[in-house]
Amino acid sequence: MEFFVVSLLNGVIHGLLLFMVSAGLTLIFGMMGVLNFAHAWFYMLGAYVGFTLTRTVGFWAGLIAAPLIVGLCGVLIERYMLRRVHRYGHTHELLLTFGLAFIIEEVIKLFYGDFPVNYAMPPYMKFAAFTLYETNYPFYRLFIGGVALVMFAVLYVLLTRTRVGIIVRAATYRPVMVEALGHNLPLVFMSVFATGAALAGLAGAVAGAFFPTHPNMAVDFGTLVFVVVVVGGLGSLEGALVASLMIGLFISFSAGLNWSLADLLTVVGLGGWAREVGGLLTLQLSTVAASMPFLLMLLVLLIRPAGLFGERQ
Amino acid sequence: MNRFWTTLALAGASFLASGTAQAEPVKIAIIESLSGGQAAVGKMFLTAINYGLIKLNGEKVWPDGIVVLEYDNQGGPSEAADKVKAAINDGAHIIIQGASSAIGGQITEDVRKHNLRNPGKEIMYFNVGAEAMEFTGSKCHFYHFRWNGNAEIRLRALLTAMKDTKTLGTKVYVIGQNYSWGHDVDRLVKEYAKFGNYIVVGDVIHDVNKIQDFAPYVVKIKEANPDTVITGNWSSDLLLLMKAAGDSGLKVRFATYWMDQPGNVANAGATAIGHFNVSSFYPEANGEATAKFADDFKAKMGQYPVFIQGHTVHGIWGLGEALKKVKPGPDGKLNVKQLAFAMETVSFNTSMGEVAMRKEDHQALLPLVVATVSKDAKYKVDGTDMGFKPIRLISGKDAASPVQSSCKMERPGA
Repeated sequence: MEFFVVSLLNGVIHGLLLFMVSAGLTLIFGMMGVLNFAHAWFYMLGAYVGFTLTRTVGFWAGLIAAPLIVGLCGVLIERYMLRRVHRYGHTHELLLTFGLAFIIEEVIKLFYGDFPVNYAMPPYMKFAAFTLYETNYPFYRLFIGGVALVMFAVLYVLLTRTRVGIIVRAATYRPVMVEALGHNLPLVFMSVFATGAALAGLAGAVAGAFFPTHPNMAVDFGTLVFVVVVVGGLGSLEGALVASLMIGLFISFSAGLNWSLADLLTVVGLGGWAREVGGLLTLQLSTVAASMPFLLMLLVLLIRPAGLFGERQ
Repeated sequence: MNRFWTTLALAGASFLASGTAQAEPVKIAIIESLSGGQAAVGKMFLTAINYGLIKLNGEKVWPDGIVVLEYDNQGGPSEAADKVKAAINDGAHIIIQGASSAIGGQITEDVRKHNLRNPGKEIMYFNVGAEAMEFTGSKCHFYHFRWNGNAEIRLRALLTAMKDTKTLGTKVYVIGQNYSWGHDVDRLVKEYAKFGNYIVVGDVIHDVNKIQDFAPYVVKIKEANPDTVITGNWSSDLLLLMKAAGDSGLKVRFATYWMDQPGNVANAGATAIGHFNVSSFYPEANGEATAKFADDFKAKMGQYPVFIQGHTVHGIWGLGEALKKVKPGPDGKLNVKQLAFAMETVSFNTSMGEVAMRKEDHQALLPLVVATVSKDAKYKVDGTDMGFKPIRLISGKDAASPVQSSCKMERPGA
């Protein structure tokens, strides 16, 4: 029971963090059709901006300013780079963001060095929210989850209940008509891209203070956010949320389980033989926990190629 | 940078061919991650090697000096294999590599095969950091020399020091990464149960540097309820593990191999206090002698030697000792076979104590120091008020592990 409850909690929080990072990616893809490879690097940028501001203007101001600054970077990137290559098609956009990822990483290393920086939450946030089976559950983990939920709620309401949301969604399906009705389409796209970048920046500023802020954090997350978006369905916000939670729980539970194929074979009486053979048969689930999301992606692609919430094209 | 050195090497070669000069510098090729994610560690090796060479070139241990060629392996074995070929083409005599046993495993095999196929043009693999057991075990060969510790030597040092100071406890948990190195540590911790007088209450192997959230593993550790957690984890795998354990209020001692990698202590914060680490060098390890070495290193390279830098410098000096015993051949070139024979018997004094190469398996017997993270340490790290306070200096002989029976070294005729 203890294992179940703690793993559930850990998995949900990790999943919510994943959602924070991948929400922007799926939003940008859904609205603009741009597969932003540099997305996880915006997340890293947010963490470093947060780190820098925390030392000068304080943690909370940093938390608010980080998404704004990363969002501003998004504006500049969309206005002066992506828009120019847009007419050459999606491959060029992908290549551009691919190159941006490298540039962001190297610039960060230039200024902050190769090693993790000391980005820490304020001391008054460093307490145990509650004690579960004699283990402290850090308040900050709940804070991360809370920020993610608030973010999801705001985004959802914005997209489905406001005029801005109507225009943005309309621009996805009938861009020409939206433009003919007098709306500034390039501005809509720029705002969507900036918002997506800002969300990743917010995630970085929040999570960077808990998980270390280091020059590899983008690479670590980079592939995983794509898995989330593919599993959830490209462009679907709800899909991203569900997929993030699934992946968080998948990793969390498989990390704690020592199951192997040999155990499975024991059921049919072949356990002894399997243990003698060793190799793949005795590989424990906990050993490959971090690979589980990719297994999930494989399954989803085989069974439902458009993703869980994706629309078939 | 590579191109620069290649050009330089070519220019040098043509100069030698045209002139009457007959000597040739010793070329050591460093094949490390010099760009991308793990570049930090590669650069630290480079700094230490360059520092070691200041002394050697100053003493003129080789008439035409020793030059370093830099190659970027981009963090992967396949790229490293290409760079080994490039280095051989550029005339390298010695290949130096340290970060990651996975890459080292590729290099040691490449070097072995090259030497089999090209008698008379041998090259040497000078290992300064790959610590999996196989290098001096099943994969050992005559042209590989390991100047750093290995999984077993370091474990012996850790256990000896922690047992002596009664900080080990009786219940040990081991967590490691899923490749040769992590499996070695896992196996050895179980084998040394009697030596350290403890029982292993649990173990887990996990993916390498892929996990963002270690909280689930901390749950497992807590269930097993150990006194001490031994881990060979490095980089983010170590940092995240320590942070997750600290955040959950888990009361265990960590005994690690690589906690002194820069950034770890700063990031773990007060959580790190009281954990143990084994290293080849700390400025406080041996009083005046080590402090003097550290100060000189700082004066020349701008930082105190940390992490893997101590034994890397010592290794380079060991190379100097071996070179002193070898004379340039009639063509002015270095005979790597002679160098290897000379290196087998090298033994010299460092600020930490005596370092000696063991002939049987080419494993250096080097002094190790076990330290605990404390605010009392004289040399602070990472800009924090904490540092590594040595609790025990262990001589090379005491830390030495027995020669592995799997090492069947074929020695060439002299």
